[in-house]
Parts: sequence; structure tokens; C-alpha cells
Amino acid sequence: MRYLAIAGFTVALLLFVAVEWAARREGSRIPTFGDVCAYVMRYEVGPVPVGRIALFGFWWWMGWHFFAR
Amino acid sequence: MEQQPELSADVPRAWDRPVVTVPTLTFLSLIGGQFPSFSTQANVYAIGTGGALVWLGLANRVPRRPVPHRLRSGAGWWLVPVLVFGVFEASTFMLGSRDDFPTFSKIADPLLDDPLVRSVAYFGWLSAFWGLVRR
Repeated sequence: MRYLAIAGFTVALLLFVAVEWAARREGSRIPTFGDVCAYVMRYEVGPVPVGRIALFGFWWWMGWHFFAR
Repeated sequence: MEQQPELSADVPRAWDRPVVTVPTLTFLSLIGGQFPSFSTQANVYAIGTGGALVWLGLANRVPRRPVPHRLRSGAGWWLVPVLVFGVFEASTFMLGSRDDFPTFSKIADPLLDDPLVRSVAYFGWLSAFWGLVRR
């Protein structure tokens, strides 16, 4: 079971790399991961940059979770 | 009518170039990699560096790269790695993140015990964070 989990996460990470690689090819219809993040960060409710706050908050928590907890 | 000054990425500032940002992030990562998990220093450092970047990103003090107004039609492909990761993270979490079926962070923890690996991971985290701030 442990190897199944490790294999699953490895496949997921390789898929991230593969889709990013495909996105960076000339004429690709797939946006890069950076473009997807930028698009999400455009989301605002009134004057509040909800998308920006959500992504920053998520990434901040990720760092704290892996490096401090 | 006076225009709101818009920060533009067309003219990079002296400090906003890889020759400055890469050594700065490397320096910060080497420091961060020295603090073990669950220590006060690690908490303060992760919260402090992340907080500074959040402040920079929300205060419009850093020039941003152009944002796409529409996503290209193939955006759905990103759901594939997200769903595969999500299925494994959710199932390992719901089964209690045991040693025989661990979550991603439980697999990563022993690797992150090494200060060098930890510094490399810290560099990845800070670089991605800087990339978000610039978006």
C-alpha cells in the first residue's frame, strides 16, 4: 500500500511536469500553470482581491505546513 | 482626470532581475533550511518570509507580468494532475495517513529532515511565491 501511495503521488507530479511541458510548446492550446494561477488571481469581489488572497494564503500555508509543522 | 499609476513589468527595476532575486532567494532558503520542523525558529521564519511576500503581493509594490484575459481552451488538462493528486491525498488522509498508506507530507517529512534537501525545497517554495507575487 505504501508503494501505491508513493507511485500515485509520483504519477501526479510527473503529470504536472508533462502538462506544463505541453503548455510551453509552440502553438499549444494549454495555458501554462503560471497563466492559470494569474487568471485565478484576477477574481475579485468588489474591491477585495479574493483570488489573490486565496492563492497567497494557500501557498503560505503550504510552506508553513512543510517547513514548520 | 489623473490616471492611477500602474506598475508595469516592461521596465524592470534594478532589484527585480534574476541576478538579484536568485541570490536573495538562495540566501533566504539556506537560512530556512537550517531550522528543524516544530521549532519556534522554523515557525517564525516560514510565517515571516511568507507574510512579507503576501504583503508585497497585496500592496501593489512589485511590478506584475501581464495577465491573460481568457484562458486558452486546453485549460481543462490541468484537472488531470490535480485530480490524480487530490484522489491520493484525500484517500491517504481519510485512512489516517498511516505508515503503510501515507499522505504526501508524511512521505516528504523524512526527506525534508536533511538541511540541504530542505533548503532546496525552501528555494522552490519561495521562488514559486515570488512568481505569484509578480503575477
